[in-house]
This record gives sequence, C-alpha cells and structure tokens, in this order.
Amino acid sequence: MRLINGFIHIFSESIVSMIPSKAFGKRLVVFIFSFFLFSVFNNIKAADIPAGKALFMSKCASCHQVLKKATGPALAGLEDRHTWADHKELLAWINNPAAYMAKDPYTQGLLAEYGSMMTGFADITLVDVDNIVAYINDAATAKSPVVGVVDDGAPKTNNNAIIFGVISLILAIIALIMMQVNSNLKKMSDDAEGISRPDPVPAYKNKVYITMVSLLFFAIAGYSFSKAAIGLGRQKDYEPEQPIYYSHKVHAGINQISCLYCHGNAWESKHAAIPSVNVCMNCHKAVQEYAKGPKLYNKDGDEINGTAEIAKLYKYAGFDPNKPNEWDPSKAKPIEWIKIHNLPDHVYFNHSQHIRAGKVQCQSCHGEITAMDEVKQVSELSMGWCINCHRETKIDFNYSDSTGNKFYSIYERFHNDIKNNKMDSVTVKDIGGLECQKCHY
Amino acid sequence: MKKIWIITGCLAMIAVLVGCDKTRRDAGSVYMPDMTYSRAYETYSSTEDLSKNGINYTARPVEGTIARGDEFAYTLKNDATGYVQSASVKSPLDAAKVDMTEAERLYLVNCAICHGAKLDGNGPLWKGGDGPYPAAPKNLVSDELKNMTEGTMFHSLTYGKNLMGSYASQLSTVQRWEVIAYIKMKQGGAKAATTTAAADSTATTMTN
Repeated sequence: MRLINGFIHIFSESIVSMIPSKAFGKRLVVFIFSFFLFSVFNNIKAADIPAGKALFMSKCASCHQVLKKATGPALAGLEDRHTWADHKELLAWINNPAAYMAKDPYTQGLLAEYGSMMTGFADITLVDVDNIVAYINDAATAKSPVVGVVDDGAPKTNNNAIIFGVISLILAIIALIMMQVNSNLKKMSDDAEGISRPDPVPAYKNKVYITMVSLLFFAIAGYSFSKAAIGLGRQKDYEPEQPIYYSHKVHAGINQISCLYCHGNAWESKHAAIPSVNVCMNCHKAVQEYAKGPKLYNKDGDEINGTAEIAKLYKYAGFDPNKPNEWDPSKAKPIEWIKIHNLPDHVYFNHSQHIRAGKVQCQSCHGEITAMDEVKQVSELSMGWCINCHRETKIDFNYSDSTGNKFYSIYERFHNDIKNNKMDSVTVKDIGGLECQKCHY
Repeated sequence: MKKIWIITGCLAMIAVLVGCDKTRRDAGSVYMPDMTYSRAYETYSSTEDLSKNGINYTARPVEGTIARGDEFAYTLKNDATGYVQSASVKSPLDAAKVDMTEAERLYLVNCAICHGAKLDGNGPLWKGGDGPYPAAPKNLVSDELKNMTEGTMFHSLTYGKNLMGSYASQLSTVQRWEVIAYIKMKQGGAKAATTTAAADSTATTMTN
C-alpha cells in the first residue's frame, strides 16, 4: 500500500513537471484518486479488527483477557510466544487443543500452569485467527479505556439552614437599629418641644428586656436539651468510616446488583446478613480494577482510588491477582464492617417478616441506598417511626387474587368486612402491629 | 464600636455554622446499656472472648450437616474426575413441581447480574464488554449449555467454574437445583435433546 501511494505521488509529480500549465487541475485529480485508493486499502485493513473483536468476545472472552491472566493466559503479545507468529500453528491449536498438545511440550506447560485445558473451537478458520490476533494487537496497544461521562460526585452541602439563619440575624440587627433610631428621634423631638423626660433605663437594667432574654434563653435551652435527650440512643445520620471504601452507589446503583445478591439472608431470616469475602470474590476475582465508574470522593473531598480499595479486599481474601487459580477461599479473613443500623436489644425486628411477607422495599427504611457511596442511617429507627409506618401502611390483603399474600388469609373478619364494604383497607395496625408484645418481649 | 462587635459576632456565628462537619462518624451514647446491648451472643458478635475463657465454640456446623428441608449433601469432589462424573447426576427435584416463581427470583438475584435476565450471557456486569466485568459470561441458551447436563451445571454451581465462584454459600442445595430447573426450562425444556446429547456432552466437557 505504501508502494502504491508512493508510486501515485511520483506519478503526480512527474505529471506536474511535464505539463506545468494544467498543473493544478491534474494534481487535484491525482490526489483525489490517491486518497480514494488509500482509504479503500485502509478500510480493508480496519475491517479486520471489529470482526476480530466480535469473535474474541463470543469465543475467547469467557476465559481470556487481552492484558491480564484470567482462566487462561493474557493474550497480548501472543505472537512473540511459542510459534504463534505462524497463524496456522495457532489455528491447529484452537481447532483441536487435545491433539495439538499431545506432541507439544509448550502447551502441556500451559495446562500445568492454568490447570484446565482450553476448549476447542473447530469452526474457527485461518481468516478468523488473523482477525482475532489483529484485534488483540490493537487492544494491547490501545490506551486504557477512556472513562466516559464523569459526574464529579463531590459532596454538596445543603445551605438552606445557614441562609435562613443569616437572614433572620440581619433582620434582627435592622430591627435593633430601627429601635435605636426611633428612640433617638423621639428624644430629639422631645428636646425640641421642651418636654423633659427621665433618662432612659439602660438595656441591661430594663426589666422587659431581661424577661424577654431569659425567656428566650429558657426556650432555646429547653428545646436543645429535650432534643438531645430524645436523640440519646438514636443514631440517625450515623455514617461510620468502613474498613474498605465500598460504594453501594457503584454496586447496587450503577451495576444493578440486587440487594439480595449480597444480603440474601434478609429474605430468610431476622438479619440482612453481611456477605462473606467469597461473595465479594465471586466478581472481584475478575474485576481487579475500578476503571469504568464515576470518580469517588470521601467526606473531605479527597478522591478515592477504587483499585486500591479492591486491593484491600484481596488482602482480606488472601488473593494474589497474579495467580488467580491458586486462591484458597478457606484462608480468607473476615472484613470487620461496622454495623450502622443498630436497634436496642429490647426490641425485636425481623427482616424476612417485612420484605418477604410485607413486601416492603429495602429503600423504604434504608433510604436511597443506590445513590449512596458511603451508607448512612436515613431513618430514625425510633419507636414513633415504627408505629407511624404500622399505622399508615396498607397491607396487600387481596389474597383471593393470585398477587395477594396468602399469609393474610387467616383474617377472616377483615375479609368479610372488606367484602361488605365496612372497611376499605387493612393497615398493619389492624392485624396487631401496635401490640407491645409483637416487638417487645 | 458597637457595630464592629455585632458584625464580628455575626461572622463568627456563620463561621461556626459553615465549619461544622455534618458527617456523623460517632454512634453516640445510649440510656441503659444493659437493655441495649445483648447479653446473649447475637449474629456477628465477636466470639473471641469465648475461646479466651476456655469455651470451645465454632460457628461452623459439623461436616455433612443437612439443614431442615434441604437435600442430601453433594458428594462428588471438586476435581476433574468429579466434573466428569457429575454429568450423570440427576436432580432430586421433580422439575414439574418446582416453584418457578421462586426459582426465577433466585435466578434473577444471583445469576442474572452476569448471565442476563434473558439468559443470553449479557447481564448488567458485562453489557457486551462495556460493563466492569472483564470476562464474557456464558450464554446459557447456547447449544453448549443446552447440551450440558443438569448434574454438570450443579457441579459448577457448587464448586465454581473458571471465573465463576462457588454459589454454595448463597444458595442451598435445593435452591441450586431449583435454579437449574429454571435454566433448563428456559432453554426450551428440550428433554429429548438433552438426553440424546448427554453422551457427546461428556466428551466435550472433558476438554473444558
């Protein structure tokens, strides 16, 4: 192709020197022609890579990655290894690995290293191999994937309270100034009219002022004292720093992992269990770096290195990313996550009762978990909060319909009342949701 | 002079309000600790002090324990021989009686994240190569997986296969068989095809 381009270039040069008068027109024609040729050749070569990518994704990507070891070796630079520069050799291996390996010590070594034999693909042709290798070479030299739309995710503070405070302060100052001006004016007019009045009592001796200030003081002090007393033992907004910066937003939000994938016990037991390390490793055996998600920030606004956080997990798991096949899950150490939602021991709460029988969504109590990087307690988890929900929540009583919850079929009277239009809905309160012993025993 | 004091006071109050870090890192105190913290050992409470007091405790059930309502434990070993032998293992469940709503729920929670809600190997973690997962999950409705016996699937679910981890900790024996029944149902329930293909599927799985 380079030859052809060069030839066309020389050709055009010679035409230009031969016929100087029509040089411009000729030149233009020849250049257009040469560009056309160039683009055609370029397109033929570029067409290899997408086809190779499609093949790689459907046939190879389950076990091979370009840059990293996975179930099988990393494929970048494979033409420098063994005799793979000869694509016919590579084809023979891909078409029938068992037969190829029988007479080849190099691939026997690979089997020993990776522990499982490659699946054969008899339908792959030599052209396919060329395309796949072209894709691998292209992907190996390409820069690391450009991170797409990045929202900065930096913590934003809600300034409403501050603004209101400032406004009321300014208003108070203006009112004070006005009062001062008023009394001065009055004094001036009194002086002008010759009326003599006693000197005004200074503010700190004025009984009205003292009463007002002390009343205000008692109101504020009483309010903050009772608020602190009520808040004692409650942990709303509690947001402890966890041993690993685990972002629920990335996992449950962006990557749409079901809550129950990790907290499956919430369906079956009192507790929404914390996943053991092997559950993390189901994905993180392969997902070894954080590259495609938005940037993460901690509360001080410093950027979090996601890949370094995954490395922390590997430390707990005892996993060496360079030797993925040698990992022994039984040697993993538990990660000591800090429990955020604590209930006192004198109250009973059961997850399965709420999410399975009651069909309550996780987000109803835990807030918008899918938007939280670090999780904080959104709900109060106070008794008033529980009771309020029990009073207001209508239960899915329609058991005769197939979507209804069969559990409630025992409440015959309510069913009859609904049928006879005596009541239109049943709340948790009606089936004993306010009884002390349901939660305290 | 008075005004300067007022202005400095205002500025100081604003500084205090703005300067407060709103993140609550501290859990706070409680009224009555003996009513708040359980005396009994709750889930996830540390059992370290038990062994210090000479009490022998392990949270692990004895090997071979079968949970109430669960099936017998799976005995084939996690090696090449076990994998080949697993091809002949049959599900203890009657496929017709499996609660497919529950099986679908289990599939969507545990498997669909990689293998896709349509079982096409294109779940949200892979997204045709755009997701964070670097390896392509298997297409469960491909011929290769249609020909795979339920026993081999169970073996892979129990011990993990290639990059897929073991799901024995997330799904009980019965739940694993339920998920497999669901996958087989979605593959077209081609009972005849699977049994005739069983012979050559053992041949192909050996090379895996």
